[in-house]
Amino acid sequence: MKKKILVVEDEESLRLLYEEELKSEGYEVLTAVNGREAIELLETGKPDLIILDIVMPVMDGMEALGRIVGKERKIPIILNTSYSGYRQDFMSWAADAYVTKSADLSELKKKIRELLEISEKSRNL
Amino acid sequence: MKKVLAMVLAGGRGERLYPLTRDRAKPAVPFGAIYRIIDFTLSNCLNSGIRRIYALTQYKSTSLHRHIQLGWNILSAPLGEFVEAVPAQQRIDEHWYQGTADAIFQNIYTLQVERPDLVLILSGDHIYKMDYRKMIAFHLEKEADLTVAAIRMDRRLSREFGVIEIDRDWHIIGFEEKPEEPRTIPGDPGGILASMGIYVFNTELLVRRLIEDVRSDSSHDFGKDIIPMMIGKDQLFAFDFRQGDFGGVGYWRDVGTIDAYYEANMDLISVTPQLNLYDPQWPILTYQPTSPPAKTVWIEEGRVGAALNSIISNGCIISGGNVKRSILSPKVTVHSFAEIQDSILLEGVDVGRNAKIKRTIIDKEVQIPPGMEIGYHLEEDAKRFTVTPSEIVVVPKGIRL
Repeated sequence: MKKKILVVEDEESLRLLYEEELKSEGYEVLTAVNGREAIELLETGKPDLIILDIVMPVMDGMEALGRIVGKERKIPIILNTSYSGYRQDFMSWAADAYVTKSADLSELKKKIRELLEISEKSRNL
Repeated sequence: MKKVLAMVLAGGRGERLYPLTRDRAKPAVPFGAIYRIIDFTLSNCLNSGIRRIYALTQYKSTSLHRHIQLGWNILSAPLGEFVEAVPAQQRIDEHWYQGTADAIFQNIYTLQVERPDLVLILSGDHIYKMDYRKMIAFHLEKEADLTVAAIRMDRRLSREFGVIEIDRDWHIIGFEEKPEEPRTIPGDPGGILASMGIYVFNTELLVRRLIEDVRSDSSHDFGKDIIPMMIGKDQLFAFDFRQGDFGGVGYWRDVGTIDAYYEANMDLISVTPQLNLYDPQWPILTYQPTSPPAKTVWIEEGRVGAALNSIISNGCIISGGNVKRSILSPKVTVHSFAEIQDSILLEGVDVGRNAKIKRTIIDKEVQIPPGMEIGYHLEEDAKRFTVTPSEIVVVPKGIRL
């Protein structure tokens, strides 16, 4: 079965880029434009992994991260941002990985594969 | 000087203290005539120089919030000092706190804003006097990640406590929550080291461990989950309560049941109580609205207003009644020919003429009608009141008699 990835990103061009690239990797892709939408999709969409931007209107990624781990403890989450200051934020430590935004998505794709493998393993335990 | 933030877990339901906890959380239960249970922990903080304090509340918190707001708004906000009651905000999770660790995790944004070096986690349920500075100094000296305060208890009580196993250096090497077969203290086979639910954590490590815990299957409790997970991984030490016990009498009470509550209160009227409330070196602060002074009236044949071996608070009027070995909170009135012995009367209780009260706890504002007897016919009493295994009667708040 295809793994489902939720991309949370307010910038449309980036969102489209991620969607296209990840689909061609063989994933099913859900998108949300802010944290609030992401939380709604958590229940209806049942994603296997979440890529989370930090700076977004309506509800930012850090707030959403807290609510997501409060609801679904085990979904792997990648924080994806162009700012480095986020590590000052305690809640950012709840993410499973941090990837700096870049036009080259190879690092992001690698992290996705790694985390999906780990969560697959822990599910089979 | 390290920056220390105290977080007092004040959500305890205190179910075994029912009906005293029917309308209030355990930390808000009155104790020692004018105090609430939480006053002891908060006073320990202030007397230990800790002036940044959050009390984390949840169930039935109105009474506790009012008490903290009215009684503990005494520090200097411009100096960054505060005692603040924080309700469960459900910012992360829409549920109540699931365990002690969850209560701290749900307030991670508060830790974020305060950014202390150390977090002192306390329970608002216990009565004791402790200088937390001694524990913090020990924590720093040992370069610990977590220090847990420990008190010796009889091993037969192991089912009631988190039991700590230590090596000679007070390094924690094991921790079991309420074990039937506890690890005893080295060289003391009759004793166990019980966790007092008092923790000093390095903030960053606390946050990391809380996050690990929140993302795993866990009951999110310090004793059941966090401490066992940290053993062997982090530097954990036990701090001997006797090193920080102010007054040196080893006094620490959970007052978890009505009987324990009754005994702990009654100890206060002995000639030299174990818990000294009168020590100017260690004041216990509380909220008390101004009331007129206590008074006794009538001294004539057969009608003497008197109180003996008792604690009488402000606003009490003992008008021709007789009070023995009892504790009267503020604004209690005892009318003529009434007899009260071995009892605890909370604020605003009114005892009518000729009433007789024995071994009874009467909650706030209850009016005892003239001639009523409580504590003399326990079978009758048990039909409308709580009667404990030690035959203490509890008359609940709001009852009409």
